Amino acid sequence: MKFSQKLLLWTMIIIALTLGFSGYYFVNYVFETSLTREVGQALDENSILRFAFETAALNVPVKYNLLQDSSVEQIASQLEARGQGTQRLLRLSDEEKNVLYASDGFETDDELLASTEENRYSYRVIQLGEHYYIQTGSSVNALGRVLYLETLRDVSQVFEERRMGFTVYRRLMMLMLVFGIIIMYFIASRLTKPIRLLTRATKEMAAGDYGYRAKQVSNDELGQLTQNFNHMSEELEKTIGQLEDEVQAREDFVGAFAHELKTPLTSIIGYADMLRSRKLDEEKSLLSANYIYTEGKRLESMSLRLLDIIVTKKEGAKLQRIPVAALFEYLRSMFLPNQSMEFIFQYEEAYVMADSSLIQTVLVNLLDNACKASEQGSRIETEGRLEQDGYRFTVRDYGIGIPDEEVSKITQAFYMVDKSRSRSRNGAGLGLSLCTEILALHGSSLEIKSRLGEGTEVGFLLQEGKEEQYEAIHS
Amino acid sequence: MIKILIVDDEKPICDLIDMNLSAAGYSCTAVQDGLEAIDAVENNTFDLVLLDIMLPGADGYDVMDYIKPYKVPVIFISAKHEVRDRVKGLKLGADDYLVKPFDVTELLARVEAVLRRYNKAEKKLTVGEIEIDIEARRVTRAGNPVPLTSKEFDLLMLFAENRNVALFRENLYEKVWDDEYYANSRTLDLHVQRLRKKLGWEKNLVAVYKVGYRLEVK
Repeated sequence: MKFSQKLLLWTMIIIALTLGFSGYYFVNYVFETSLTREVGQALDENSILRFAFETAALNVPVKYNLLQDSSVEQIASQLEARGQGTQRLLRLSDEEKNVLYASDGFETDDELLASTEENRYSYRVIQLGEHYYIQTGSSVNALGRVLYLETLRDVSQVFEERRMGFTVYRRLMMLMLVFGIIIMYFIASRLTKPIRLLTRATKEMAAGDYGYRAKQVSNDELGQLTQNFNHMSEELEKTIGQLEDEVQAREDFVGAFAHELKTPLTSIIGYADMLRSRKLDEEKSLLSANYIYTEGKRLESMSLRLLDIIVTKKEGAKLQRIPVAALFEYLRSMFLPNQSMEFIFQYEEAYVMADSSLIQTVLVNLLDNACKASEQGSRIETEGRLEQDGYRFTVRDYGIGIPDEEVSKITQAFYMVDKSRSRSRNGAGLGLSLCTEILALHGSSLEIKSRLGEGTEVGFLLQEGKEEQYEAIHS
Repeated sequence: MIKILIVDDEKPICDLIDMNLSAAGYSCTAVQDGLEAIDAVENNTFDLVLLDIMLPGADGYDVMDYIKPYKVPVIFISAKHEVRDRVKGLKLGADDYLVKPFDVTELLARVEAVLRRYNKAEKKLTVGEIEIDIEARRVTRAGNPVPLTSKEFDLLMLFAENRNVALFRENLYEKVWDDEYYANSRTLDLHVQRLRKKLGWEKNLVAVYKVGYRLEVK
């Protein structure tokens, strides 16, 4: 059952019970009051009749000392007839409670009569046929006799009013319930609207729409809940977005990796298959064998690079205070014997905080890339400069440059701006990925500036290794 | 002669396909760039294009889209092996999709199948005095019909398409029986013997030690 329906049902039950009880109590109260009044009047009537009887008895000619039964009947019928308009109902009984006179229609049992005593009033409410009466009883002293006078007063009206009261009240209650249901229905549905909106939002989110937000329609606790829920979904959306990006990056990497793996494998398998199943002439055999060799080499360099990245990621960097001169000395020894390019090294003496072998890898990679991008004999400048916020290394070439739209992609794994060119020099498209990874360990990143056809400048910043800092760490 | 355009940014793979298709009697042209591929299709008529997807210049999908009006059959050859890539390729109108690394015999069979679909392939193969009607799956020897079972016919097709090539036992078995090869299975040898006898190829269909069989013809 819906919450709003429950709310409606319980409200209605409570309203019905309250109205029912209060109505019953009210109608009954009115009835009791009326009945008490009627009883009072009935008793008054009784005493009036008693006086009237006693007065009449005084006027009876005194033949005997005692009032005769016939006289009693006579007086009673006179009294009965004297009722104004309405019929008076009375009954008279003697000392032994034998009925002497009874009006027509006075057809009650003798219970009240039996319990009536001298000088005392008594009454009861009885039902005769469809009519209700108040029966009163009292004793009359006349001419030395004690008689019992009983009257009946028709109070059907009071009972009828009570019945009518209940009927009217029942109708009123029905009406109020119907109105109540209609009004409560709207109130309940309005109150539970935030819940419905939230339910819908959870469903939408469960179905994968993390951007869905529940509309806030109130400022109460439910409104607060909606607000918190929306806040939660925002956080969730953000996290899921990040996860999706990560998954996407991983998928891209795996896709690129699979492609880079399959390409040399296709050649190796294909040529090996040809060699084993065909009689090839010498030239073709050599060509095939050479392809198998070079593609195998390519696989090797790729796997080594990947291994480098994985190992770097896993082991992290051990930052030490190293002299820049040592780094440049290493580069000189690596590249100066290569006569095909004009290498220029310039640096300011300083110390940097770095993992020596990892930074060497980065610099060698950058210089390699510069060589790959340049024509033979062109200039490649490597600079080291002390700056305000650290020590900056810059590798500059005057080669082919990188198109603007590719600059952001070149640090992606396996990305190569010019594939055939890079392939011919055994590139796997992993060098800059590795550099990015290493620099991240140093809290730095690559800054690439390039113009197509004019050259490229790649730089990064390392923390300067100041002496006191070094001592602070090692003391 | 049937002309085939090979588009792949990897020279070794271009050469590999070229060497094999040329040996099977096709005339091949190879380009390594998407834009060059479009130029080639515009300026020449090809019977079939073998198209890589990851290409410099314009990628394989773009090339496919562009050359569609030329109604040249296209087979994608790509390292992208996921179903959605294959579906994308085929939906663009390619006739087949081959995943790298591929088997050379499979490449030849697919090329053959696509060309046949376009009625460009030879409907009849002739090997010496044996004539094979590929569509009717009928074989005649010097004009006399030779009754072959379905497996024997498939086996014969493989040999006929790969003349002078040593075909590996497991390869043959997997292609014809479409099932994993068990080292000690004699089924293949039995079929080869029957084929030799029916076609009179006792000398042509030679066993290659530790490899399988080769159909030798001049």
